Amino acid sequence: MEIGPGQFLLARLDDVARWAQSSSVWPLTMGLACCAIEMMSVTSAEYDIARLGSEVFRSSPRQADLMIVSGRVAQKMAPVVKRLYDQMADPKWVISMGACASSGGIFDNYAVVQGIDTIIPVDVYVPGCPPTPDGLLYAVNLIQQQIREGGRGGILARS
Amino acid sequence: MSTTPLTPEIVSQEGNAMVLSMGPQHPSTHGVLQIMLEIEGESVVKAEPEIGYLHTGIEKNMENLFWSQGQTNAERMDYLAPSSNALCYALAVEKLLGITDRIPERAQHIRVLLSELTRIASHCVWLGTHGIDLGAISVFFYCFDLRENILDLQEASGGARMHPNYVRVGGLNGDLPAGYVEKLDALIAKFPGRMRELRGLLQANPIFQDRTIDVGTMSAEDAVAWGVTGPALRGSGIAYDVRKAFPYSSYDQFQFDIPTRTEGDAYARFLVRLDEMEESMRIIEQVRKKLDTPGHVAIDDPKIFAPPKETIALSMEALIHHFKIVSEGFRVPPGDVYQAIEGPRGELAYYIVSNGENRPYRVRTRPPSLYNLQCLKGMAPGNLIADLVVMIGSLDPVFGEVDR
Amino acid sequence: MPSTQQPPIAGAAIDPPSVRPAIDDAVIERVDVQALRARLQALKADGYTMLLDIGGVDYLPREPRFDVVYHLLKMPLKAANVQQVGTPQRFRLLCSVRDGEPVPSVMDLWRNADWAEREIFDLFGIVFENHVDLRRIQMPYDWEGYPLRKDYPVRGPARERSPRPAFALKSNVQAGTPPTGRTLEALQEQVKQARDGESK
Repeated sequence: MEIGPGQFLLARLDDVARWAQSSSVWPLTMGLACCAIEMMSVTSAEYDIARLGSEVFRSSPRQADLMIVSGRVAQKMAPVVKRLYDQMADPKWVISMGACASSGGIFDNYAVVQGIDTIIPVDVYVPGCPPTPDGLLYAVNLIQQQIREGGRGGILARS
Repeated sequence: MSTTPLTPEIVSQEGNAMVLSMGPQHPSTHGVLQIMLEIEGESVVKAEPEIGYLHTGIEKNMENLFWSQGQTNAERMDYLAPSSNALCYALAVEKLLGITDRIPERAQHIRVLLSELTRIASHCVWLGTHGIDLGAISVFFYCFDLRENILDLQEASGGARMHPNYVRVGGLNGDLPAGYVEKLDALIAKFPGRMRELRGLLQANPIFQDRTIDVGTMSAEDAVAWGVTGPALRGSGIAYDVRKAFPYSSYDQFQFDIPTRTEGDAYARFLVRLDEMEESMRIIEQVRKKLDTPGHVAIDDPKIFAPPKETIALSMEALIHHFKIVSEGFRVPPGDVYQAIEGPRGELAYYIVSNGENRPYRVRTRPPSLYNLQCLKGMAPGNLIADLVVMIGSLDPVFGEVDR
Repeated sequence: MPSTQQPPIAGAAIDPPSVRPAIDDAVIERVDVQALRARLQALKADGYTMLLDIGGVDYLPREPRFDVVYHLLKMPLKAANVQQVGTPQRFRLLCSVRDGEPVPSVMDLWRNADWAEREIFDLFGIVFENHVDLRRIQMPYDWEGYPLRKDYPVRGPARERSPRPAFALKSNVQAGTPPTGRTLEALQEQVKQARDGESK
């Protein structure tokens, strides 16, 4: 968000807000399929996403910042994903984890939505089938980078 | 937007009952499951699970892939034990091709090894998530640490942690790499201590016992009527295991027991699965001794299994066979086959129909989790919602398999 | 890379189960829809206590079109150890069904037939009589068409593309798998139409 030259105090507040937001991105457990198991591995002791600030994975969208769509989105599940995204409070970010969430993956057929970016806006795509937990950690790092460097977020929390 | 219609078959709406939709977004439903609950206070009057939130059209997808590519889709059904699914598919296609006897011995042993490793890995995820559902969060970290060792082994042999695409029709995709047996030895040495820790965490815990003993009890007749197989059936007193009843690969060469309990409640299934992990390690130790003898890992038929890449530059026939297999695939004689294996959840089977062409005509999966989950309709009424969480955890459904 | 565009090579048999090689995996029998229930009741009385699975197959050029396949297992109810289980007998009952012909449900014989029959109805369109709750199970409840039929395109009904939900974002129209047959002319046409739409 653009902050004018005279708004020094707001700019510093914005930096503080962005630092706070990037240091405590709490994901939503949108674990759908195989990528969800790698997402669970990311919370385990070997990869430990908690050291990046994602201490808790909340199941309620009202309490989460980051929606990690991990897994293939079926036609029946698409309205549910959209509804959950709408229920999240601003500012919110979306990681599309895996090939199926990013583009339909290996399932180019009637049953899978060909990429969740057709229904919700996505910030970071993670390739892989499933991506290794390192890939997901890098994606969270990229989200943090986006927040700190002026992407979605900040004190006014505009999209 | 299509929502679940509240038809009388789902909810009876008599008296003071409240209708609650548990899921598909829920921390304890092990995936995308929606249960339409009719509750009075905290106790369940009727529970109707609604599935289909992960339907991927895998069966139709496989009709458009070559025979040698089918296991990529099959692995993604039961994503906790991918090598098991791939093995079942490969065995079914090999039966149709008539080459079951020509799979080399070493390939059979490594397939058994992979099956048992993924069984332990799958039970680790089950135990970790079951613990988290009940509030025992440390169990999750212990289990996933053990799982990391197994995924290391899978990554070494197949190339990927999950979905390694290592078991192929005709054998395996290459031999085990250098250093694999050392890692396997390290895992075998670490396992008994870790198993003691896992048992010590939950087995004698009075809170865990309070929550799981006499919860979700299923008699043997009920279990068979609902088509339940696997640890859930063995927890109710019937010792049916496909590895013993209809042996496949080289299972008949190894000694192992089938743990069975008679109580039929969630605690019995818990104990059965823990015992199964130890039996799997027993099989792995026996397989480990057989891995020292070298051998081929794939059938020696260039019409079905591509020749090694090194020979392509030297031999015209190898090049042509490789080209044909990659661009056109091999053809399978017409017929149908039903091949079952013992997956971590029960009897996983494929009913494959071949038309004589280079793609399957129909691949029908017999998903164990679908039938294990269906018995929830009979098990749930009369229990608390908290007990429902325990029941789902003890049945261990995987929704990639249920919905396909 | 195979796709729906490439034809399969040498599709031979119209009725594969009748020409199958000698694979010993089950006792196989074929019945008509009229004789189905009686046969299944006899099998259950004979000791086939477990219905493993009900599957459907679409043999499109064949008449009758569908096969509904019942996989049964002779499971003893008193089987506390492996010796008592032994080697159970498998049975495969194939039932030929015409398009539009209803099939009697076996929910009262085996309770797990419920979801299996719902799935066959959902994906093939075969109606089961006397089923308590015959509605779609895998596809959304208002879906049209029966996906696993051979004349249903793999990519879905909407012109070889996966159907886009009604609430799709208009700004991401280009995202996702591009449709087959996408040429430069078609793209230029699309851009031209978008510009004409904006200028209105």
